[in-house]
Amino acid sequence: MKVRITLFGALRDADSRGYIELDMPEQSTIAALREALQHHVHDHAPPISAGLVQRSAFASEHEILHNHRTVPEDGQIAILPPVSGG
Amino acid sequence: MTDIYTAVVDISHGPLDPTAALDFVSDPRFGGIATFIGRVRQHNLGRAVTGVSYDLFEPLALRMFQDIGERARAEVGGPLKLYIAHAKGDLRIGDLAVVVAAATPHRDEAFRACRLAIEAVKHEAPIWKKEHYVDGDSAWSEGCSLCEEHREAERQAVKQHGDAHGHGH
Repeated sequence: MKVRITLFGALRDADSRGYIELDMPEQSTIAALREALQHHVHDHAPPISAGLVQRSAFASEHEILHNHRTVPEDGQIAILPPVSGG
Repeated sequence: MTDIYTAVVDISHGPLDPTAALDFVSDPRFGGIATFIGRVRQHNLGRAVTGVSYDLFEPLALRMFQDIGERARAEVGGPLKLYIAHAKGDLRIGDLAVVVAAATPHRDEAFRACRLAIEAVKHEAPIWKKEHYVDGDSAWSEGCSLCEEHREAERQAVKQHGDAHGHGH
């Protein structure tokens, strides 16, 4: 399945379009998506540190999705680097 | 729930409005109102700042503000009105970044609810700040990880070092 990962904060610098699309097997876990994204960022956006993807959370519009969860069926997901509001 | 108001305000359409926050939480049942107003300051970590830009994942941020409101209600264990609004876009020095107002029958619950809400907004909501400096450089602020493994690591670090939080914000 095609997964569109919307980028925020410092991770926006990973792709000027504001998102990254990856092909993932159906029912992939968030942990697997994280690993695939780390490889993608390593190859396509080397200035972004691997640690930043590690420290980021994934989320739908409704909730944070931790590593054991599966990627949403609609293939829409966001990656949230460490937050700094207020 | 009509006792909790949440908003993300695009600063290009107008500033945050503390008067609207006070109007919203005002209620004949309540004798105490606590407010927190966060403004863009001139310096951070020794560097002169000319402005900041806020990026938000808006639908999730609004859900989280609502959840934070429910937690504040559980914390005070009684009637509460709460207003949470955060700015989005490009802000200058002195512009309002966040407004929280909490109203309850007495001051103690109002202070506690307001404190809980602003701390949660800063540490948990999907909001990112980019600072712009006098020399033309800019940088995303270091923040709090929302990833469960890293949150646990940060909690352990706080325990070991005994400070109130793992880093200075």
